[in-house]
Amino acid sequence: MKILVCIKQVPDMESKFKVAASGTWYDTADLAWRMNEYDEYAVEQAVQLKEQVGDADLTVLCIGGEQVKETMKKALAMGCDRGVHIADDKSAEKEPYQIAGIIAEFARDKGFDLIFTGMQSQDRGSAQVGVLVAELLAIPSISTIVQFTFAGGRIETKRELEGGVKAIVRTSTPALVTCQLGLNTPRYPTLPNIMKAKKKELVSLPVTDLLKVEARQETAKLFFPEKKGGGLVLEGDVGPLADRLIQILKEKTGVLA
Amino acid sequence: MKILLVAEYRDGKLLGSVNELIAFAGKMGAESAMFLVGSDSALPAYAGTLYLADAAACGEFNPDVHKQLLLDVVAREQPEMIVFSHSSYGWDLAPRIACALKAAQVSEVVDVEGDALIVPVCNAKLRRTVKPKTGQTVVTLQAGAFGLADAPVGSPTVEKVAAAGTGKLEFGGYEAAEQGGVDLTKAEVIVSAGRGIGKPENVAMIAALAKALKGEYGASRPVVDSGWVEHKRQVGTTGQSVAPKLYLACGISGAIQHLAGMKKSEFIVAINTDKDAPIGDVADVLVVADLKQFVPMLTEKIQAL
Amino acid sequence: MHFEHTEEQRLIRDMVRSFAEKEVAPSAAERDEEERFDRQLMFDRLAELGLTGIVFPEEYGGAGAEYISYAIAVEELSRVCASTGVTLSAHLSLGANPIYLYGTEDQKQIFLAPLARGEKMGAFGLTEPMAGSDAGGTKTTAVPDGGDWIVNGSKVFITNAGEADTYIVFARTDREAEKHHGISAFIIEKGTPGFTFGKKEKKMGIRSSPTMELVFENCRVPAANLLGGEGNGFKVAMKTLDGGRIGVAAQALGIAQGALDAALAYARERMQFGSPICRFQGVQFQLADMATQIEAARLMVYQAAWRASNGMSYSQYSAMAKLMASETAMRVTTQAVQVFGGYGYTRDFPVERMMRDAKITEIYEGTSEIQRLVIGSALTR
Ligand SMILES: Cc1cc2nc3c(=O)[nH]c(=O)nc-3n(C[C@H](O)[C@H](O)[C@H](O)COP(=O)(O)OP(=O)(O)OC[C@H]3O[C@@H](n4cnc5c(N)ncnc54)[C@H](O)[C@@H]3O)c2cc1C
Ligand SMILES: Cc1cc2nc3c(=O)[nH]c(=O)nc-3n(C[C@H](O)[C@H](O)[C@H](O)COP(=O)(O)OP(=O)(O)OC[C@H]3O[C@@H](n4cnc5c(N)ncnc54)[C@H](O)[C@@H]3O)c2cc1C
Repeated sequence: MKILVCIKQVPDMESKFKVAASGTWYDTADLAWRMNEYDEYAVEQAVQLKEQVGDADLTVLCIGGEQVKETMKKALAMGCDRGVHIADDKSAEKEPYQIAGIIAEFARDKGFDLIFTGMQSQDRGSAQVGVLVAELLAIPSISTIVQFTFAGGRIETKRELEGGVKAIVRTSTPALVTCQLGLNTPRYPTLPNIMKAKKKELVSLPVTDLLKVEARQETAKLFFPEKKGGGLVLEGDVGPLADRLIQILKEKTGVLA
Repeated sequence: MKILLVAEYRDGKLLGSVNELIAFAGKMGAESAMFLVGSDSALPAYAGTLYLADAAACGEFNPDVHKQLLLDVVAREQPEMIVFSHSSYGWDLAPRIACALKAAQVSEVVDVEGDALIVPVCNAKLRRTVKPKTGQTVVTLQAGAFGLADAPVGSPTVEKVAAAGTGKLEFGGYEAAEQGGVDLTKAEVIVSAGRGIGKPENVAMIAALAKALKGEYGASRPVVDSGWVEHKRQVGTTGQSVAPKLYLACGISGAIQHLAGMKKSEFIVAINTDKDAPIGDVADVLVVADLKQFVPMLTEKIQAL
Repeated sequence: MHFEHTEEQRLIRDMVRSFAEKEVAPSAAERDEEERFDRQLMFDRLAELGLTGIVFPEEYGGAGAEYISYAIAVEELSRVCASTGVTLSAHLSLGANPIYLYGTEDQKQIFLAPLARGEKMGAFGLTEPMAGSDAGGTKTTAVPDGGDWIVNGSKVFITNAGEADTYIVFARTDREAEKHHGISAFIIEKGTPGFTFGKKEKKMGIRSSPTMELVFENCRVPAANLLGGEGNGFKVAMKTLDGGRIGVAAQALGIAQGALDAALAYARERMQFGSPICRFQGVQFQLADMATQIEAARLMVYQAAWRASNGMSYSQYSAMAKLMASETAMRVTTQAVQVFGGYGYTRDFPVERMMRDAKITEIYEGTSEIQRLVIGSALTR
């Protein structure tokens, strides 16, 4: 069985962000980088699948500059067999369709039975790449999974819907799934495995070989949202007050939808 | 400008997010049409054309078939924008449509600015103004970003659509939400009880409001220390740090140790008899009222929605 | 010269930090309060993560990493729980390392490998009631008897005692020889007849780490368990402590960093006179000193570790690192309590525990005075 897991390196979300000089992305200096949280679930599930089927080859793919190799090493230490680094110092500027295009171009005709991705990245949060890759490869995809089982060429998943409800969805391989928080508990890369990861294959391919599509959107500006001012103060009789609050909750939050 | 709104239907019900789609169309000042895989018996209040496919025939969740149906409607309507909610349905179907239409997709839009769309970056710490470069654009809207002041009115002109084919995914039904131990950090809504609740019997009233909002109830430390509520539910430096979509602080003064655990919440409502309580500094809305009267009233009204 | 961690060191820090924060930190205050050692969490989990044998070669069950990685692991554990930090440090540098340094091939296979894999836990018994800073005062005896050794005496203040399976014990094998010469090291396993445990110490800090007395009454130890040759015990002990000090120094560094992190977070939140206290220059000065001292200590700790891994002499460097880091930990934790004000004095915030934990780093594996002696004598030799 051939498995592909796609990961992204993102800044620690607790970081103090600054807008970069370009004005269209955040300044990448002095940030702590880690594996996109959703991708950790993807890697863990891919490794579990490999352990289940035994005879499997698991490739981890990451697009980015030289520094993303560190995150790839983590995936290798977690149990991926080999790494494909798509060298691109400008990956942050690429929109989801371009990223998906690069991945699909790489994966095409390689015969991957299963592709795992995170459901979204923590920085861009577009939730598009996984599904787009599957569409470009014309294979079925199931997004936002919180449960995954594989048996005899069939996968059964649970998708997370709103309010804790789940949908059971099945399909056959080849297929792609996008992984959501709660799918599993990613393992720690143990120290001996970190040491062994150094010896695993990690090839770099220039992005120019794989980028065949044009950007369909561009970022005009990156900025900080305005700070919350002093809140609204509501006074009066409880009946009308309750109505007024319900109104506000409907307008400003999604919780009464 | 013409936009096509994609409404959602689940488990026999039309989802309320449809109102946000309508509000978005209104805000854009655009002509709109709507697409729904749903049922005759659950139509939205919407004054426009509704392309309705029968969920019983097409399946409530069947992306391949829904994609084909929607593409057919797009071909007929030729909208410049196709608008989804940024929901488990929307973010699943939108990229499939965008890919087929060779259109840009802009996800989780919170605002519009001329022809540019604004989306959050890095857990909403930052925002980004995005300009699509394609003639057609697919958009998903952040839940709650586009509210309607008044419920929409009107009834749609229904245009039935149907599709052949089955699709590659097999939908095996829904699984109801689990009822397990509490994990406040995962709750989307938290209603917390402070010392202002006065006596342990009143915890029930807080819990009832939490339930009506499909959330969990929490507490400030004094309430926990008195043994009225278990420690797992304590919010603050020595309890849980939470960041739900909505945090309702009932009878909580807003001590720093409490604030440290909840001020990252997306929307904060405080209910306090004291107009000057420091919780007002972080609250989006401060309701000046006696919680013993206000909370049951609010619960009742929410249940009646 | 460069000051960057390797990719592998960063991955190790990342891994240990997330384990420490997610699994160790939540129970740290409670274990301290209850003076409870949790073997599953504080040792077995470390074994699963491959931390119990970090620096030993793979053929002896280790991970084949270098000392900086080891220092990073102890530092990150100690940042949230100094008791867990010392459990690893006492096991690895004191319990296992002497076997790696002085053991025969058989001893390495039989005793070191299970320690490195974390199937067994190690401890080190040097200190006695009458032999503290002055290890030459060792009174415990080992007398040859039909090819075995009969050990009598007791050891006090032994970290991991009771829990550990394998103990490195120092005993006098030649009463006639001059102070330091007549001592030998032995590997003694828990359960050996005549080897029991005395009282568990009630301590100021690192209360979740057990410290107990070892008691030997006509304890028969096989000849094969003599470590490093007869009469070489003092050398074994001193060389072991050279390495051990890197562990304690890393522990102190972690405690200090944990206290600074807590103080910084608090100073940003705490409002007085209408602004967060971190806006006051007086508070900023305190934080600046804390951070600067920690950074200096960190460089010294990693330098000592780097020398140890590169086959250079490091005795003096590990003594300096331990001295600097432990005194930094004490100052920084005291200052952190100050930043917290009255809240820092309560057990609701971790800085109170950190201040108590910091103190031991100035005492064990050679007090600060003894470190100065080591450094001073090396300088003036
Ligand atoms: C070391 C330490 C750690 C702490 N950790 C935490 C922690 O983790 N979490 C935490 O919450 N606290 C913590 N505290 C306690 C904190 O300092 C405050 O004491 C506590 O948050 C106050 O709780 P409260 O707001 O419920 O009570 P109060 O401060 O007593 O406030 C009660 C509020 O209820 C209002 N009220 C009264 N009656 C009514 C009514 N009928 N209707 C509406 N409003 C009413 C009052 O106007 C008042 O604002 C900690 C304190 C210390 C010292
Ligand atoms: C929690 C804990 C865990 C421990 N774990 C272990 C362990 O695992 N294994 C082990 O073998 N031991 C262990 N010890 C023992 C520890 O290493 C000794 O306590 C330490 O070496 C000091 O010895 P002492 O307590 O006898 O003090 P003493 O040697 O009596 O020292 C008392 C004071 O005199 C000073 N002093 C002594 N000699 C001189 C000198 N020549 N010049 C200047 N000042 C001097 C000391 O610095 C100190 O301030 C542990 C101790 C504690 C408290």
